[in-house]
Amino acid sequence: MAGRDLGMSDAVPVGPAVFARLKLRLIAGNLRGDTTRLLGFVFTLLAALVVAALGFSAMAMLRSAPPQIAADAVTVLFTMLLVGWVVVPLLAFGLDDTLDPSRLALFPLTTGRLAAGMFTASVTGVWPAATLFATFGAVAGLAAGAGGVLVGTLAVLLQFALCIVTSRLVTTSLSGVLRTRRGRDVLAVSVVFFILAAQLPNLLLNQGFAGKPREMLHGIASVLRWTPPGMAAHAVADGGPAALAEVAFLALLTAGLGFLWIAALRRAMVTTDASTEGASVRNSRGLLARFLPDGPLAAVATKELRYARRDPRGRVGWFAALAVTGVMAFSLNNGGEGTTPGPALAIGPACLGALMIGLQSCNSFGIDGRSLWMNSMVYGTARDWRTDLAGRHLAVAVIAVPALAVLAVVAGFLAGDPVWAVPAVLTAWGVLGVGLGVGALSSVLLPYTVPERLNAFTGAAPGQGGIAFAGSFATMIGTALLALPVALPVLLGVTWVCAVAVPYGVLVAAVGRRIAGNLGFARYPEILGSISQPG
Amino acid sequence: MVDVADAVRTQGLLKRFGQQVAVGGVDLVVPQGSFAGLVGPNGAGKTTTLSMVTGLLRPDGGGVWIGGADVWRDPVAVKARIGVLPEGLRLFERLSGRELLSYNGQLRGIPKDEVARRAEELLRVMDLAESADKLVVDYSTGMRKKIGLAAALLHNPRVLFLDEPFEGVDPVSANTLVEVLRRYTASGSTVVFSSHVMELVERLCDWVSVMSRGRIVAQGPLDEVRGGRSLNEAFLSLVGAPAEHGGGEEGLSWLGATSA
Repeated sequence: MAGRDLGMSDAVPVGPAVFARLKLRLIAGNLRGDTTRLLGFVFTLLAALVVAALGFSAMAMLRSAPPQIAADAVTVLFTMLLVGWVVVPLLAFGLDDTLDPSRLALFPLTTGRLAAGMFTASVTGVWPAATLFATFGAVAGLAAGAGGVLVGTLAVLLQFALCIVTSRLVTTSLSGVLRTRRGRDVLAVSVVFFILAAQLPNLLLNQGFAGKPREMLHGIASVLRWTPPGMAAHAVADGGPAALAEVAFLALLTAGLGFLWIAALRRAMVTTDASTEGASVRNSRGLLARFLPDGPLAAVATKELRYARRDPRGRVGWFAALAVTGVMAFSLNNGGEGTTPGPALAIGPACLGALMIGLQSCNSFGIDGRSLWMNSMVYGTARDWRTDLAGRHLAVAVIAVPALAVLAVVAGFLAGDPVWAVPAVLTAWGVLGVGLGVGALSSVLLPYTVPERLNAFTGAAPGQGGIAFAGSFATMIGTALLALPVALPVLLGVTWVCAVAVPYGVLVAAVGRRIAGNLGFARYPEILGSISQPG
Repeated sequence: MVDVADAVRTQGLLKRFGQQVAVGGVDLVVPQGSFAGLVGPNGAGKTTTLSMVTGLLRPDGGGVWIGGADVWRDPVAVKARIGVLPEGLRLFERLSGRELLSYNGQLRGIPKDEVARRAEELLRVMDLAESADKLVVDYSTGMRKKIGLAAALLHNPRVLFLDEPFEGVDPVSANTLVEVLRRYTASGSTVVFSSHVMELVERLCDWVSVMSRGRIVAQGPLDEVRGGRSLNEAFLSLVGAPAEHGGGEEGLSWLGATSA
């Protein structure tokens, strides 16, 4: 027994410092020996510094603004911080080892100690530090007198703790769901809302709020006044007895959420993944396969259509392209007050839509990823690779051709004359063809891995962000340049040119496939390597 | 130089990753119709070798011939002749098992009805008929190995390459896999599989190639390679592992239920 006892009495109590060190070690270990990751970290560090400095100085500078506006602005900023803290870790789940409590389940830790440790780990890091620093800007910007600074500091600390605890509570209570395949699928699709949210200010500005930012700010702030971040902001600005009451409430709320978090932790540690009982899919041949001759073309096209529907990455890509295009079409029409209505207002959005959809094909093999070996095991000639690309293009066209037609009709109506939809849709189809042709080239020349786990910030595996950017940028520029000969005359009013747009697009797509087929055959092991990076 | 009687032959196969030499001049030989095992410790270069042999990874040097045809010069002939189950179960996750098989068959230009007939039979033999319409992403490891093997067999290849086909597979599924493979080699086809489970290799194979640190250290008929010992003993001495009672005695003194 002596040996055992010795072991136990030697045990050092695990304090929060251990978790902080673990987190720092994880950050450091992640960077070791990988230049691109190091660069990424430096970039993150710079970004966080900028956010911290900008956030702090923006709030601090509110001191020179009228008090009402200053308080409103801080209310909105505090709420944005809280929302950001809830949403971002969800989308990035799995990127941070200290976030998932199940990894610590085997260690003999009491739940309370674990919660304290997880809290420490959560506040250790670049972004928490940046958040805390930026939040303190509110004290500099709003607080009055020594008492005000004291209460304000308390309110700021509580706002920070609230961000962390709420964020942890949400990730922990959802961690069971997030570890299942279906949960991750749903979450991946929710990335779309993030992309859409980025378009929101654009829409709002176009909807008449543009002239009165002050009213808009006040409107939003008055809605948020009694939310916890609103109360924190008010407490900093007020500094009186009301502020003390608000601080007390925030403290209680944070403690309550902390308690819920501990309860959720306790549950999460003993709950397992039960997602392997997948539902069956409909066993159908697929509509397209009925019209196509039997063979690789039909096989690839059918598979691509299934992936567009079943793979969250496919769904997100399509949904985002169509939604962003719709929003752009809408805001283009409402935005420019000086522009006279004309066919260009219908043709422009339709062509942009075609460009967006074409961009989706700039890494055609990316979503297949490691499974592409199955195709490359079969293809023995450049012609086979050409057929493969043709199948992919066909699948894109099956979705995009009707979608662009709908978009063109809507854009035509919004622009003032439904007849404009005709040149719009013809030109857009032509641009789509050009986009597919250029995309085929970038798919074989600049392939990159699309990680299984999507997040809103990058569509590429670690270290391949540059290639991804180059690929889509080159495709965009290439498509725009090659589309100019048909798109420009149509936009300038030489409408008959749209009649040649479709044949032109089909031609460019075919030429693109021919070159890409040869290149793809010559360098398929390299393509396979680039799209199989660990994501 | 190239013996047509050999199902697989490589000469001086070489692959570097940066500074590290993963495969340093491998001369692999597998006779026609054999059930061959490629064994070696982790990191010996088994997967890299198999990837190069099957045309998935470009070698930095050396050559590969399958049934006398050069893998990198005559891909059409080679690709019709081989079936592969690569490591890491890289499959089209969002297709159902049945869709995966029919996709594979159609890619190879097999008529639709023939694909459906073969797929149905394979699914039944592999005991996957009930899960045929579930997505592969929801399959267990054993099911994935079985559907992968079914996909590799669909076009009736002459040579089958399997990378760690039994890893993480339950005994029932493993038994199914073994049955199918035995039947397949009995007809004169060749199987090459990599593994580090010696008992399995000893039970199944009639030909063994032992890899260590990117090289073949022994190769030949099973009995010749093991030379009267068990394959495990032969393997440990070949790869230069410490003898059974050698290491570990000085360290780890606190480990175990000792009441000192």
